[in-house]
Amino acid sequence: MNRLLYLFRRLLLSIPVVWLGVTATFLIIRVGPLNPAAAIVGPVNSAQAQERLARIEEQLGLNDPIHVQYGEYLVDLVTFDLGQSWVLYPGQDTVALLVQFGPRTIWLGLWAVLIPIFIGIPLGIYSGLHVNTNRDYVASITGIVWRAMPNFWLAVILLALLSQTDALFFGSGWESFIVETPLIGAPDLSGLGTPEGFVVATKQILPAAFVLGSASMGNELRLSRTAVLEIINEDFIDTARAVGVSRWRLIGKHVLRNALIPLIPVITSEAYLLVGGSVLVEVVFGINGIGTLFFDAMTSGDLPLAGSLMFVFILLTVSINIAQDLLYTLIDPRIGYAERQ
Amino acid sequence: MTDSTPSGSGANTPVRTRLDRVPMTPSRAWIVGATLLLAPELGALLQFVAGTLPVGEAVVAATDRIPVLLSRETIPNRGTFVPGNGWQGTFLGLSPAKAWGLRVGLIYLYGAVLLYWLWRGYLLYRNRYRTASWTPFDDIVRRFRGHRWGQFGLIVVLAFLILAVFAPALGPTTLDRNVIDPYSHELEYYDDGTGDVETVTVGAANIDSTSQGIDDRNVGPLTYDQYDRFHPFGTLPSGQDLFTQVALGARVSLFIGLVAITISGVVATGLALISAYYGGRIDLGIVLVSDATQSLPQLLVVILLSVVLSQTWIAGLYSGGVLLALIFALTGWPSLWRAVRGPALQVSERTWVDAADSYGLAPRVTMRRHILPYIIGYLLVYASMSLGGIIIGVSGLSFLGLGISPPTPEWGRLVNVGQPLLTTVSWHIAVIPGVLIVIVVTAFNALGDGIRDAIDAETDLDNEEEATAAASGAGG
Repeated sequence: MNRLLYLFRRLLLSIPVVWLGVTATFLIIRVGPLNPAAAIVGPVNSAQAQERLARIEEQLGLNDPIHVQYGEYLVDLVTFDLGQSWVLYPGQDTVALLVQFGPRTIWLGLWAVLIPIFIGIPLGIYSGLHVNTNRDYVASITGIVWRAMPNFWLAVILLALLSQTDALFFGSGWESFIVETPLIGAPDLSGLGTPEGFVVATKQILPAAFVLGSASMGNELRLSRTAVLEIINEDFIDTARAVGVSRWRLIGKHVLRNALIPLIPVITSEAYLLVGGSVLVEVVFGINGIGTLFFDAMTSGDLPLAGSLMFVFILLTVSINIAQDLLYTLIDPRIGYAERQ
Repeated sequence: MTDSTPSGSGANTPVRTRLDRVPMTPSRAWIVGATLLLAPELGALLQFVAGTLPVGEAVVAATDRIPVLLSRETIPNRGTFVPGNGWQGTFLGLSPAKAWGLRVGLIYLYGAVLLYWLWRGYLLYRNRYRTASWTPFDDIVRRFRGHRWGQFGLIVVLAFLILAVFAPALGPTTLDRNVIDPYSHELEYYDDGTGDVETVTVGAANIDSTSQGIDDRNVGPLTYDQYDRFHPFGTLPSGQDLFTQVALGARVSLFIGLVAITISGVVATGLALISAYYGGRIDLGIVLVSDATQSLPQLLVVILLSVVLSQTWIAGLYSGGVLLALIFALTGWPSLWRAVRGPALQVSERTWVDAADSYGLAPRVTMRRHILPYIIGYLLVYASMSLGGIIIGVSGLSFLGLGISPPTPEWGRLVNVGQPLLTTVSWHIAVIPGVLIVIVVTAFNALGDGIRDAIDAETDLDNEEEATAAASGAGG
């Protein structure tokens, strides 16, 4: 019951957060120095363009007083009426665009979360168990440098390396390894149901996901190492060892289970990195997902579309935040509901 | 008046004797040393100030005439190789590579001595003039002196600092000569065909020294081009010198990082003090504002704001650097605030804060004197780590073609320029700036680690989580 109450309180608190975020977006786009209608039309040098500018201003409601605009804007967002694209895909509904572009970003994000979990955490645990050995130093320093690497640069380097791997991957290059896939471009998600389609889509997304997950991988390596170090010095580990618990059982049951507690919220909190990083990684790898959509909308002056996408991102980060806090209380009941606001 | 040295004859006594009469206290000795150290570079300092402030052409020209010890005028690295006569025009007839190397070495030596002198000054203050014989800061310094990893970070950060501060003197050529206005500048070279020294514009020479990914069109790192110009990092596809741009790019990154982190640090500290001291509804309000700011993905807001504000006057300052710094400050304070709020809350519950309150101190004084000193260390830790994140963010934006606009060089844009040539012989263009970003960001993280361990030997996971997110640069 207490947990339900906590969830309720958390949801209630997220309303003003979303409202503030949305208001900030509104202020930037509508009150900022760049007129959205002018950005859509581009340079106004003919009577025709002038007329079009006036028409779009009318359609966007830019001639209304600012408080009326603000009211309409809020009502539209609450009813999830996200408007349409003006420049990039003229006339297309934003929700339809989200449905079309979203799955590719979700597919990318999913693998970007999974890869660090399966590489970063085991490496960190390995480091923690062999602390202050050369193996630990190599793993730790790799993690530290890995974390400092900018996504865009890693993406550029990885693309260059993969295009030069004719000798690796059992005699064939990366592109023809197992299944034939191009290095750059969006994965085809239509065949996900079939085994072959799944393999193709996965292989196609792996380099991009590897880059997007790189920062998280470094973080998880570091944190799992620290967590193992903290647990391994606890008294109950000494006791278990004294009682004669075998090494593997000790690691599996007593160390890992406790060390994972602080890690799970860390994984969710990296959603921030994924959302921001998706823009750069998608642009470099030529994946037309939501990140590319946002970037193209911004560079082509499609401000209404960009504003609506921002609203979606706000909802996304806020709900991930709530999920993270809930997970915290579920995993570790010692953490009080009152303490984490 | 039987004084042996009447003051009237002071003008005739040698300076040396007069100086001897002034008692040489340690502080005076230190100040004399500092003055002697600063004097050779005073001209460069004045040039920089005159160049930044709107003081008019005449003043700028006047400062340009002041001789500077460590400059390309004193140690020129540009020369012409005439067979039989050796290098003409370079410092002491050395080869351009050696002359440039000498200048870089001397600048770094100068920087190191200057920093050492500042450190000596601090020690002097601590041992001689500070009233308290011990403060907690001494312990932090002592622990940091045993932290090798943190020291590695500090040294690399200082090297980066010197690179940024002395950028114009470090480059083998200047931005104005090489990039902005190459056809108004000329250089001399020895032409094998005519057997004589010929003149060519820098712009025309650049066309012959491009790095375009094929063997006979590539000037790699540590090589000369056909006009006897030395390129420590090679050239760009346009034939411009890469090192000159890398050095100036360091300046932009450092400027944006420092300005952004200073503003957001001040905002974060102020808000942390207020939320810790007053708590309750005020704290909740700040939590909401900070959550709202963080709910907007940082990199996307930066893209949004830099596009929306791109036509305003502020975007013209320092090729957009000032605007970017402000945007990063605006979006970056919540993570810093979250990091220092915890320690501030802990301190605000201590008895001495209660005591200060009941003693009747104004809230502002209590916050500044009795809470602030305990959270400033934490602020430094997260500031250092976030700085690396900002450097990544700025270069990521420039890579996308937003952010810093040409002709001001930026590391991310250099990576973008070099990307198509990465798998060719001209790999250096994209690799060198990228490796530098990795090294500098690693160093800032290491420095943050070092300060954290120096403040408090115990690591708590909750704070680390916050710091690691900041260090990764919001996905840049």
